[in-house]
Order: sequence, then C-alpha cells, then structure tokens
Amino acid sequence: MAHRLTTCTFCGVGCGLYLETADNRVIGVSPSMSHPANQGKICLRGWHIHEVISTPDRLRTPMIRKDGQLREAGWDEAFDFIARRLKEIRDKHGPDSIAFLNSPRCSNEETYLLQKFGRTVIKTNNVDHGAGVYSNNSTDVLMEMIGVPATTNSFNELGKSDVIIVSNVDLGKRLPTIAGAVIRARLDGAKVIVTGTRSHRVVKNADIFLQNKPGTDALLYGAMTKVIVDHGLMNLPFIKKHCSDFDNFLSTIVNFDLLEASEVCGVQAELIEEAALAYAGAGSAAILYSTGLEYGSTDAIKAMVNMCLVTGQIGKEGAGLFALTEHNNLQGACDMGMLPDRLPGYGQVTDAAVRAEFEKKWKTGIPAKPGIAAKWVLSDRGKGSIHAVWLCRYDPVSTAFFTNAEESLKQCDLVIMQHLFLTESAKYSHVVLPTAMFGEEQVTFTSGERRIQLAKQVIDPPKGITPGWHHIMQVAQEMGADWRYESAADIMDEIGTVVPFYSGASHENLAREYGRQWPCTKDKPLGTSFLFEDGIPGQCFKFMRVERHDELFATSREYPFLLVLGHSLYYWHRNVLIRHSETLKREYQVPLLDYPEGFAGMHPDDAKQLGVRDGDRIRLRSDSGSIVTVAALSHEVRSGTLFMPFFVKQVEQQIQGPGRSGLHLIKVNVEKEAQ
Amino acid sequence: MKARILDRRDVLKIVDLLKRQGYEVIAPFRGRGRDTFFDTVSDENRERIELHLPNPYYPPKRYVLPHIEPLLNAHSGNGGIRIQPTFDDPKRAIFGIRSCDVAGIYHLDRFYIGREFRDTYYERRRKNLFLVNMVCTDPGEDINRECFCMCADTGPASRDHFDMQLMDLGDEFMAVAGTARGEALFDDPIFRRGGEGHLKRRAEILNGVRSHFKNTTRSWFSAAVRQITQGTVLEKTWEEVGDRCLECGGCTYVCPACTCFTVSDRKVAPGEVERVRVWDSCALLGFTRMAGGHNPRRAVHDRRNRRFFRKLEHHFIERELSMACVGCGRCAAVCHGDVGMPSVVEMIRRATMETDNNES
Repeated sequence: MAHRLTTCTFCGVGCGLYLETADNRVIGVSPSMSHPANQGKICLRGWHIHEVISTPDRLRTPMIRKDGQLREAGWDEAFDFIARRLKEIRDKHGPDSIAFLNSPRCSNEETYLLQKFGRTVIKTNNVDHGAGVYSNNSTDVLMEMIGVPATTNSFNELGKSDVIIVSNVDLGKRLPTIAGAVIRARLDGAKVIVTGTRSHRVVKNADIFLQNKPGTDALLYGAMTKVIVDHGLMNLPFIKKHCSDFDNFLSTIVNFDLLEASEVCGVQAELIEEAALAYAGAGSAAILYSTGLEYGSTDAIKAMVNMCLVTGQIGKEGAGLFALTEHNNLQGACDMGMLPDRLPGYGQVTDAAVRAEFEKKWKTGIPAKPGIAAKWVLSDRGKGSIHAVWLCRYDPVSTAFFTNAEESLKQCDLVIMQHLFLTESAKYSHVVLPTAMFGEEQVTFTSGERRIQLAKQVIDPPKGITPGWHHIMQVAQEMGADWRYESAADIMDEIGTVVPFYSGASHENLAREYGRQWPCTKDKPLGTSFLFEDGIPGQCFKFMRVERHDELFATSREYPFLLVLGHSLYYWHRNVLIRHSETLKREYQVPLLDYPEGFAGMHPDDAKQLGVRDGDRIRLRSDSGSIVTVAALSHEVRSGTLFMPFFVKQVEQQIQGPGRSGLHLIKVNVEKEAQ
Repeated sequence: MKARILDRRDVLKIVDLLKRQGYEVIAPFRGRGRDTFFDTVSDENRERIELHLPNPYYPPKRYVLPHIEPLLNAHSGNGGIRIQPTFDDPKRAIFGIRSCDVAGIYHLDRFYIGREFRDTYYERRRKNLFLVNMVCTDPGEDINRECFCMCADTGPASRDHFDMQLMDLGDEFMAVAGTARGEALFDDPIFRRGGEGHLKRRAEILNGVRSHFKNTTRSWFSAAVRQITQGTVLEKTWEEVGDRCLECGGCTYVCPACTCFTVSDRKVAPGEVERVRVWDSCALLGFTRMAGGHNPRRAVHDRRNRRFFRKLEHHFIERELSMACVGCGRCAAVCHGDVGMPSVVEMIRRATMETDNNES
C-alpha cells in the first residue's frame, strides 16, 4: 500500500488529498489536514474519487470509424490517420477550418501542447476551452480592470476577512470547501452577505441576503457603490494613487439611485444600504463570485470590481476578488492560452510584439487573426467554415448546454476525440484515443487561488495508454514538428519560458509543500499568497462604466416570469465523471429520477396562485416559442422566477426560437397544462 | 490479562516478530505537515515508523470495512451465469492502533458479526486482523484538540478488544496481552516480567494524560445521550445543525464506528460484471430515497438528527452493547460547517439550558 499526496481533479478549490493504492489500484482517498486550501476537509465528490478512478469501463484501445462503425485500431494507425486527415483538410480548406476544443479539466501540460499544436502546426487560433462561453468574460474584465485575470487572494485568508460577499453561486454544492470556509469565518465573527436570485445553504448562514431579481446584479452592486460614494466612504487616497478613469465612472453612478435600484432589484433599500456600509467599513472584505455558468454577466463583474476599487479592498489579506473556478484547471486552461484571442500568459494574438516573442521561442510563425470561440464552433461550425474539430477530454454533446453540438459534429469531416470513456460525442467521432486518467500521470493543475499543483502519478495506466499530451506530441511529430518532450515536467519547463508568472513553477519546485501560487518566478520561487502583497505598482487599476440594460430583465403583464437557465443544484457538469461512482451517481442524478423529463423550479406561492402542485405539467410560453415541463416546487427559487437546469437542453432552443443567442434570462408566462 | 515489560529500543522488534509470523504489518507514518497515515511496513520505511504522532486521519476501520471492496464477479456464458466471490482477507497486523479506534473496530464487530446475520467478508478480514494498541501518553503528539475519548470512555487506554497493548513508560514499555494470540508473542525474549513499580508508573502516566483533555466536551456527553433518548432536543437545534451541514459525507467516512455502505455493479468487460461494496453515508439525500421518489428524510436536518440518534440514543447503545461514538474527534476535524460530535453536543446543551426552567 502507498499513500501519495495529490490534488483533486474535480472543482477549482484544488483540495489536497491522499490517494491510497495497492496492487496498481486506487483503493481509497482521504483529505490532507495540512493542505492550506482545505485543511482536512473535502466534498462528496472527493470522497468517491477512488471509485471514479478505478472504474473498469475505460476505453482500452484507439478506435477509427470504418464503414460507419468505430472499430479498434492500433496507436500508430490512429496517429497516421489523424495526421493524414488533418493535412488533407488543412490543404483543402485552410488552417482556419480546424478547431481545437478542450475541457477545463485538462492539465496545464496537455492544454499548452494542444494550443501550441493548433497555432504552430496547423497555424490557426481556433483554440478554446469548453467553459469559455461563460468564463472568458471574467478573464477579460479582470485583465482590463486589475491587470490580472485571477482570484487576488487565497482561500485560507477567508478566515481573516471581516466581511465576505458571496455573489450568485451556490457554494455549498459547487465549491463546498469554500462554503465551509465562509461558514466557519462567520462562526468566528465575520459578516456574511449573500446576493443572488436563488437561496442556498450558505444563505442560511448569512447575516444579510439580498435576493435580487435575475439580471439585476450590475444594478445592485452599482447601487451599493453609490451608497458608498454618497456616504463619503470611498478610499480616496487609494483611488488617487492606484486607479484611473474614476471620474468617468463616477459620472455614471447617478444612474444607480438606491431607491430606484431597490424597486427594480426587488430588494429592500435598507438591506442594500446595510450591506454597502458593512463592505466599505470593513478592515478587509472579500467578494466571491463564480466564473461558472450561472449569471456571470460582464456588467455584473465590472460592477463588483468597481465597488472593490472604490473602497480599496484589494492588495491586503482577507480582502480582494475571488473569481472562483468550478473546474480544477479552468484557471490553468486560460493561463495556458487556450483562448482564441490570447496566447499563453494572456498576451493578445493581435499584438505584433507579443506574437514576435512567441515566434522566437516557438521557432515558427503563428497566426495573427483571432480564432473562433467554442460556442460558434459548436453552434454553426463558425458559419460553416470549420471542417475538423479536435476534442481533448471534452464531450460537448453532453456538456455544451449552449447549443446542439451533435448537429455541428455531424457535419464535420473529421472529429478527433481524446477521452477516458466512450462518451456521447464518440458517436460523431472519426477517431477516438483513450487517455490516461487522473492518478495515472504526473501533471499540473492550477486552482482558483492561482495554486499550481502537482497531480501525482500513483498507478500505471492500462496497458498501451499514455497521457493525452503524449498523443498530441506524436501527431505533431508526424506532421513535421520537432517536439521532444520526455515527460510532463519537460513541458512545464517550457511553459516557464513563455509564461512569466510560471517561470519558477517547475515540477521540482511544485513537489515541495503544497504547490505554488502564481506569480511563481525565479525571483519569487515560493509563489505569491495574495496579489500585490509586495505593494501595488502605481496606477494599475481601472474603473469601468456600467450602463444599465433594464430591458434585459424587465417583465411585462404578458410575460411576468423570468425563466433562468442554470446549473441544476445537484448536477455537476453533466456528470460525465460523476456517473462512474454509485454514490455520486445517486446523489447527483436524483433530480433526473424524480423528474425524468426535466423540471422548472418554482416558488410555492407562485404555484399556489396558478393552481399548480409539485409534479404538475406546466406550459412556459415566451414571445418566440413554448415548452411543456414539470413544476418542482422549492422555497429556494425566487418568487416571480422559474429556474430550469441546463441539462434539459432542448428547452433553450424551443423556447427562444431558432437563431437567438444564448440568453440566460427569458421572459415567459406560465400556465397549468392538462395533466 | 498478562503483562510484560520490554525495553524501548526493542519495541519495533514486535513489528519484525509479526512479519515473521506471516502478517502484513501496518504502522503509522508521517506525511506532509501534520498529516499522518497508516501504511504497510517494508524494509524501506521500517525506520520511519513513529510511536507518538497525531492519530492518522484515515480511519483504520478500512482494514475490516474497505473504502471500496470487491465482493464478487459474475461471468455470463455457456448459457448461464457463473458467480464467484472475491475475498481479500490477508493476515494483517495494525501496529499502533489507538484506543478510540480499537473501540471503533469493536463496535463494527458488534454490528457486522455480533447479530443475526454475520457478514462473511467482514468476518474473514476480522479473523485475520491482529491489533497492537498504542496507549496515548504524549499530550503534545498523541492527543489533539478534537480528541474526547474520555467522554466516550474509550481511552486513552483500551480496557479490552486488542490482541496486545503497548504503553510508553519512559525507557521501558509495558505490553499487555488481550488475547491468546497476543499472549503467544510473550514467548519472545524481548519480553520480561515486571513488578509493582511498573503498575504504579502506568497509573501515574494515565492520570497525568487524562488531565490534558479539553474541558468543554467532558461534561455534557451523557447529558446529550439523555436528552436524545428522552426526545427533548428542540427541532430548532437540528435545523441549526442542518443549516451548517454541506452534506459531504465526511463525518460518516472518517468515523471509526460508522457502518453504512452501498453496493455497485460495474461492468468490467462484455459479459463480466464485478460487484463492489463502497462506503455510503446517511448524511446524503439519496440514502433513504425509495423507489417512486418518497424520502422519509428529505430535509437535511432530518438526516443530521438521524446521525446523532444512531450515535447517542440509548436503544442503539443497548443493541450493540457499544456506543457508536468513540471520541476520536475526526468528525470535528473533517466538518466544513463545524457540526461534528463535540459541537453538536454543545449545541444541544446550550439550547436545552436556555429553555430548561429547572436549571438553577
């Protein structure tokens, strides 16, 4: 038996846990008490990680589609096939006809090689990760306003915060370890403020709950900021020294009148004021939001950052902005440049100087035109221009809620799939490569607190199976690239030469203690606990104007309800991994058992008014479509809203009608349907 | 029970003795920071076995009730299905299991093999398990903030249910045999008879150690048993517990006396299925969900109060002749919302004190 300290593969907290192995099997898991992020606690998913890792229904050999059927093939045969077909398609339709999409659970090394392959071998910027459609706005806003696209502080600092604001995320289900940190901070005397449309477990532990109407977050935070300004609680020295564009921003603040905002948001003015004053008056106050797919609108994020800058709640312990990532390597995927408009380290592909640097280091030219994002690749094949897609650990047929990926994949001439299992997307794949599982390779993940950690190899992969990065290298070599990485550590060394804030993050350094939080450079090899801990350099922060767009969420007599599309409370990213554990499958798929056709969450008061009982069929009608679904009554849903989990994909298309872009808020009216 | 004395420097020879008898020996080691764990002793790590260190977090119940345990294989073919049990019950000795965990294994014994239905898998593993209990004597290393074995009356020195018990007396150790096979080890020359002086020293050390436990959890454990058994705990208290619970299952998984499991069939290959038993938890929503959707414990606080009833209600203590809480404190360490046993006992005490008119 052996016990190895590693980091979890599920969400972005990056908990430390020990995997127990015997006879090349993972037989158990337990939390690390000393790990700074989780301190002895993990969530239900982590407790069953060994069940998922040891699942026997793995893909064992490559498969190539012949005569319409996927048939077993050899590795060389598969790599030849991929290289040949990619060349053919590139020659026929051009480099931009090929797209590379991966999962935000792919390791840094795997992600880095995939985008490098796309850019240097195929010469396209069509690279994106599957969560980009809802998280890339956070990256852009943070880059613009604070210059760093990541959580500014550390999770274990929450115990030192005086005030914690949690915006629009059910921490208890999505990131339980953080929920625990917030609950325990409150037990220790911190004030907890929760904003958002839906109630959840952390709300039960909050001092103030601002249950605002869907879509009104920007308005709410704008109003709180105006309260702070009106009370003269701005941190003027901080603003003067470190922020630009304050006057421009201040001129719009008049649009966020407290009483009007209270009316529109549906939240008592006294509570908004109380929350704002608590935040402004706190020694250190933190704002937590998720970059997952709840309502993380660009404007909402801007408004939160504005409020943070106005009070100077950044650059000190226990304060800051927490852009929580719901996947173990969403942060890493972005750091590695798996973005159609950014290179590793976040330089823009359109910036000639940045490109020149990379061309020098990669010893080849790279394309200047920004690529097509995953959303468009999978919705309309980039208006029909995409002919081949490489999917790395990504199963868009199951997980890309925002579109019907089947249609796009069906129309592609080549779909390459790397995965652990024969997932739904395999039905549309021309070649399938089995990859190594978590625990079968030593790679790195970067958690939501910028912690780059080693996920250790604790067992050997099944015979013949190698890491995903290895496949990418093989194909690259077949296509003429001179890539010679002997191990993931080699790739990480290269990453250190192109991403400045990873320059000290070698596998060797990461193996000591508990990984390193970036920036981790040669000068600062121990990493950085909270950003700007060594001081804030001059005017590096920027305010941004937020305009009001009340029309997005204003309801009418004809369509009085707002239908919110979001995660099911219990569903975890379509359960591709989850379904391989009996307990996790049961816990995460319970809604599907109780409501096999899906459901719309509704507040009991609203249901009573409509004469609807739990389990009754209801019709939701918008101005462009209608659907029939089943009512699931819950006090957690806000009155006047309906909540539908994303897993009922057809909903969005049916109710929004063809051609509409993925709005999360739809105005509907509700009627009881014949049962 | 017979007792012997041995020199401190000979203590690890017991590991070698057990290995010679064909046992795979498990012993405690340090991990990173404050982490410790039980692991198989090999030539490579033997010198790193520690006698005094924080109790390993991952409970040793997994040696009788594994986190994931293969039960059987089913093969279909030749017009029928062949089923074969998969037993995995090697001879194992846990060197350095703490008194709280010994009580935990005893509780699992009562549950799995002490009633009408004997669990074959558990029984086979248990028969092959040799327990060398280490008494907690070092307040700095062995005992942590969350420990409350005194309240649960399981420590710091087990009274029974071990094969051998070791206690650090300083330059010497005292070894106590709890079973015949434990006593059989005394034939080895490292053991010698002791005297009155050793017994006195043992008593002194134990008294000293007992005074190191945190005050707050010592007094109200039995009150919690009484209040739960009498049904006087307020609904409001359970709701407060539920509000802080994140339904992670951790308390169940780390608890040495928790027994719940579920069973899963996994497809290994075409025509071949393996059945495994995995830990499960009554904290989870689906645990009592019935076919058809009815769930008698849908609300989280209804599930939480079930846990504490199972642990502290008199009927259950009577049924197993053992309490399902051994005072190890792991649930306090693992809980995100700080509603492990010590906190809940305190919450019950506080709530009933506030409303108890008879309290003077």
